[in-house]
Amino acid sequence: MRDYLLIYVNGRRYKISGKRGFQSLSDFLRYDLGMVGTKVVCAEGDCGSCTVLIGRVRNSQLLYEGIDSCIQYLYQLDCSHVITVEGLKDEAQIIHPVQKAMVDAAGSQCGYCTPGFVMALAAMLETGETLTRHSVQDGLTGNLCRCTGYEQIIDAGLSLNQKVIPKASKCYDAKAILADFMEHVVQPVYCEYEKKWNGAGQQVQFFVPAYLEEALEFKQKNKHVTVVAGGTDISVQMNKERLEPNCIMSLTHLTGLEILEIENKTVTVGAKVTWTELGEFCQEHLPELDEIISIFASRQIKNAATLAGNIANASPIADSLPFLHVIDAEMELTASHGTRWVNINRFYHGYKNTEMKPDELITRIRWNLPEPETVLKLYKVSKRKDLDISTFTAGILLRLKKGKIQNARLAFGGVGPVVLRLPKTEEFLQGKPMLPGIFHEAGKLARDEISPISDVRASSDYRLQLAENILLKFFHECSDNQNKKEAA
Amino acid sequence: MKENGNQVTNVSAASSVTNDDLFVDDLPSAQNELRSDFIESPAAQKRDRMKVVGKQVAHDSAVGHVTGDALFVDDLPFTKNELVVDFIGSPVAHGEIINLNSEELAQLDGITGVFTHADIPGHNLYGPVIQDERFLAEGVVEYVGQPIAIIAGESREAIRQAKKKLRLEIKELVPVFTIEEAISAKQFIGTTRRFKQGNFEKAWSEAEHTLKGTFICNGQEQFYLESQAALAWPGEHGEIQIHSSSQNPTEIQEVIAEALGLGFNEVVCVCKRMGGAFGGKETQAVIPAVMVALVVAKTKRPARIAYTKDEDMRSTGKRHPYKIHYKVAFTADGKITGVKFDIFSNGGAGADLSTAIMERTLFHSENAYFIPNLIFNGTICKTNFPPNTAFRGFGGPQGMANIENVIQEIAIFLKKDALEIRRLNCYSHDERNVTPYGQIVRNHLLPEIIDQLVETSGYRQRLTEVEDFNRQSETHLRGLALTPMKFGISFTTKFLNQGNALVNIYKDGTVQVSTGGTEMGQGLNTKIRQLVADEFSISYDDVRMMITSTEKNNNTPPTAASAGTDLNGFAAVNACRKIRKNLTKFASSYFAAKRGLDPAPEHICFENRDSGNNSSVFDDRNPENRLTFRELVKLAFMDRVSLGERGFYSTPEINFNRDTEKGEPFFYYTTGAAVSEVLIDRFTGHLKLERSDLLLDIGESINPGIDRGQIVGGFIQGVGWVTNEDLRYSEKGELLTYSPTTYKIPNIQDLPEIFNVDTIHNPHHQINIRRSKAVGEPPLMLCLSVWIAVKHALSCVRNDVCPRLNLPATGEEILLRLTELNDYSKEHRTIDFSALESEVSLVVLPSSSAETKATV
Repeated sequence: MRDYLLIYVNGRRYKISGKRGFQSLSDFLRYDLGMVGTKVVCAEGDCGSCTVLIGRVRNSQLLYEGIDSCIQYLYQLDCSHVITVEGLKDEAQIIHPVQKAMVDAAGSQCGYCTPGFVMALAAMLETGETLTRHSVQDGLTGNLCRCTGYEQIIDAGLSLNQKVIPKASKCYDAKAILADFMEHVVQPVYCEYEKKWNGAGQQVQFFVPAYLEEALEFKQKNKHVTVVAGGTDISVQMNKERLEPNCIMSLTHLTGLEILEIENKTVTVGAKVTWTELGEFCQEHLPELDEIISIFASRQIKNAATLAGNIANASPIADSLPFLHVIDAEMELTASHGTRWVNINRFYHGYKNTEMKPDELITRIRWNLPEPETVLKLYKVSKRKDLDISTFTAGILLRLKKGKIQNARLAFGGVGPVVLRLPKTEEFLQGKPMLPGIFHEAGKLARDEISPISDVRASSDYRLQLAENILLKFFHECSDNQNKKEAA
Repeated sequence: MKENGNQVTNVSAASSVTNDDLFVDDLPSAQNELRSDFIESPAAQKRDRMKVVGKQVAHDSAVGHVTGDALFVDDLPFTKNELVVDFIGSPVAHGEIINLNSEELAQLDGITGVFTHADIPGHNLYGPVIQDERFLAEGVVEYVGQPIAIIAGESREAIRQAKKKLRLEIKELVPVFTIEEAISAKQFIGTTRRFKQGNFEKAWSEAEHTLKGTFICNGQEQFYLESQAALAWPGEHGEIQIHSSSQNPTEIQEVIAEALGLGFNEVVCVCKRMGGAFGGKETQAVIPAVMVALVVAKTKRPARIAYTKDEDMRSTGKRHPYKIHYKVAFTADGKITGVKFDIFSNGGAGADLSTAIMERTLFHSENAYFIPNLIFNGTICKTNFPPNTAFRGFGGPQGMANIENVIQEIAIFLKKDALEIRRLNCYSHDERNVTPYGQIVRNHLLPEIIDQLVETSGYRQRLTEVEDFNRQSETHLRGLALTPMKFGISFTTKFLNQGNALVNIYKDGTVQVSTGGTEMGQGLNTKIRQLVADEFSISYDDVRMMITSTEKNNNTPPTAASAGTDLNGFAAVNACRKIRKNLTKFASSYFAAKRGLDPAPEHICFENRDSGNNSSVFDDRNPENRLTFRELVKLAFMDRVSLGERGFYSTPEINFNRDTEKGEPFFYYTTGAAVSEVLIDRFTGHLKLERSDLLLDIGESINPGIDRGQIVGGFIQGVGWVTNEDLRYSEKGELLTYSPTTYKIPNIQDLPEIFNVDTIHNPHHQINIRRSKAVGEPPLMLCLSVWIAVKHALSCVRNDVCPRLNLPATGEEILLRLTELNDYSKEHRTIDFSALESEVSLVVLPSSSAETKATV
């Protein structure tokens, strides 16, 4: 058991007292280390100004990805190598080609977002993907700039020849760092201390278990523990003082939860699988879900956040849920006394209220791939197409036979306290032909099955109209596909 | 330009400092009709052939930006015993302060002091135009987030913990949020302004056709990435030094002095750079600056404040929402014969710059169109929101959006292509060129820009395609629109049109330049460096821009109104020319003595080969005998020649009479036009910008890379305003969209797929610094092409109804309008638009807690 965190920053080793674990990486960089190149604007992972590279142990290698340092707390980052904008210069203090490209393309104006863009571009070089206009846009979706209108930043990205440009991580001795990490990841980290202000004390503790058994045991003992995987929502709540957890467990080092496989048409996803990993998997196996994954969050978020977190967080507008509902996904809930599988359609009891018992963890999620004669469509409506929280979501899965609907499953999000299945509309559609009038009528029925509210994102009227229209949209997309097939 | 082999040599003859050494502020003010004679001297034109101006030099701070070495206020190292400062803001939109436990808070762990209005030694009133705002609330609060008390502590954590012990007792009073409510309550700021030309009533009564309606637009958050910040240090004898993220260091200096009861000479304000401003730091940087200055005065310790994005968005002003009632009279061809616009802006709780912004709305309510008979009435409503303030365009965008909407409706009514109506009414050259305020639009290319853009964008062909598409597609709609833009350059408040600069040459031939202009990303410092380098024919690298400080440049205007380069660039050049005069005089004697000739300043040349460190000075009667610039400077110093000068500039010829509302407020206009095409999902209202073509007359560009960035960045910022940037408040006036999670500025995926940006050469434009034009604000207003394209798309749904469309055209707004059109004839269903028919969106939340719902 350790009481300190081991973090490298730009190749330099830091042993950090657990007491400093309850701060964001960006605060640590800016205020403890004085590395002020990393900027913080929103403190909620929506602007990317704080983007840094994080190298973590994956399959016995250091894998470097871009993340938002404002919503990664130090307790999540044990055994990570952080590369900041200050760490991009080479030994001779010559700026990195990514930086040079931004200078030459006039990619900066006020300069406040610039280090974040530079790091996001550097992250793209780490993965070695081909830089096209499209991929550069995807890679920079998580970075906001208010000055440039982005064109010259894209120019900078496109001017890079990734074949000859050294990865930023190559400047550092990966072998030595990896060896140090491999020695430490097997040691759980535990820290407990008292925060004292104005006469009142508060006991704070966090735990980074190395093995699942330890994690389950800890959860059994501390039922109020906040479990953090990617932390992309919890850290926001902590930054904004909406949540002040005093007991946290980070899943960072747990092994065995990275499973991502397809066997006999059953997909199994471990609790630590990130959206980035799942997205790559879906490109091949589930293009419909991949489409949603590609717009719903930025790279930085998807590199940290997990499917299990999306489920456990229990938001009615969580972007994975309509899909999981119509596909009848199941979650494996594990406690120290055993495991059980629960169907997602029976998982949510009310707003932020789930079937999960205090001693349980979500360890795996599984579902069967849609069968060939079914049509699956997923919808996400938000104010801005990319990186926005949904106004309305929908999953529609129809089984068709000879032009008739054999079976229909509809799940709508953003229209009630939980994601809703629409049993009456589903029943109405059963046995009906694929005709516009049918879907028009189904839309009217759907309106009556939901109870959306007006909030910051939209009025209830808008959500009702979307619920009605989405069925017609579905119909038109299906007939478009049909027409295309026939034409082919 | 003469060429020696491969080497390009640029020579600027010394005649430029003798015969033609006309400083622009020395020029006699010309008659109106002589305006085109107001040109730079031939020598100045020769200088255009020099190396640095016109080149895409990298931004002055680019390397600092990409490495993180460029420091912003909150990046500055903490000094020992520095205090962290925060404030306690009002939780209600309107109320009476009964009690605050400030003394109790001041005793808590790590808290150094809690200060209220009672602690302000000077006066607690300020305002750039009308002094009606308080630094710290006194008795009443008038908007959510209004600072009531300042809290200073040893750490952020100490303040965070102390805020949990806050007990603030407020008696809520009835708030006023909308223009309609303010009109009912007769709450106004300033008086109604009226522009008048011809006889509207007559035009209306004799019109072939008329239309009337109401245009509504919401506000917009500046969303500079660096939130408001300031850091102050104590000086000797009560002096204060402050580093403020401000477009207006002089105002910061003066306002702090007044608040603390100091002389202006006891406060120094500096600003190295801002992480964006867009108008949001023109006046509103004052409050955080006063907060830290007061803490410094009270504690004699350095003090720093950096707002969080949430605090910033909740408590600072935005672009004004507007409501405009319009009446238009026009002929069967679509020629406008008269308009009447009753224009109302939602000013928020204090005057701030609202009167100047409304004035600019009046100056731009006709945009690029000649209107013979008109009445524009402009009224500012006082409401319980943070005082609305400057934002790129400064009231211009709202006025222009309104007239573009009116023109589109004329086209829809007449069933004509809107381009035809726009072209028909567009300002001409020798006639139909008088603005509503009497200024003649000269030397412009408005019709030419439109015509060129129609060709290059394939407008006519695409219009046919779009309308065919709309007849066929059951799932999508397309829209296409061209809108022109004409933006007046100069502060409409005359005295602000001045600038001063300090140029120092050091003995090694390197140069430092300081001006009152502030750098917020727009590239001002880069352009001034280029201008100064060319004045001495030296390399760009030998010129350095120094921190903006009220210690070096006094009584400066804000860096605003797109005029930063015009004012400060001219001032810097004037300073350079003074030094050059000294140097030339010295050089002429020096070279003459060597050859036994008579000194002839007109023969002295400054030359820069290769724009490298190859600059030299010589007498062109004997060009072999040369001095490097560095040698010349050293010798001149030894001969006791002054190597530092201040330059001053004031914009010539501008004038405006607010009694008659007539005059010539603008030195010139920046113009352009844009064509945009949009795709709309008929089921969700989702909007996609598919293509935009922009064409602008920005004169001769000092730095094409920077100007392209200004054009693209301004346009995309405008696209945010007209599409997805949607400010929503609770019924209690709390901003719900206070961070990028809920307030969606354009991201990198929102760029048009096809995006053509071009400039046009305008041979008639012969004035202004190096014949450039201001480029900061104008491109933003090209965004109206996108909004009007949405209106065009909606107008294709049916041909018997003119669609309504508020601004911004969010997916929700578009779908509601589509549904309204689809259901127009059906009586069985009505849609409740009430929530959207006001210029501010007040959301009726299901429970009292706005916070929890905002984070669902």
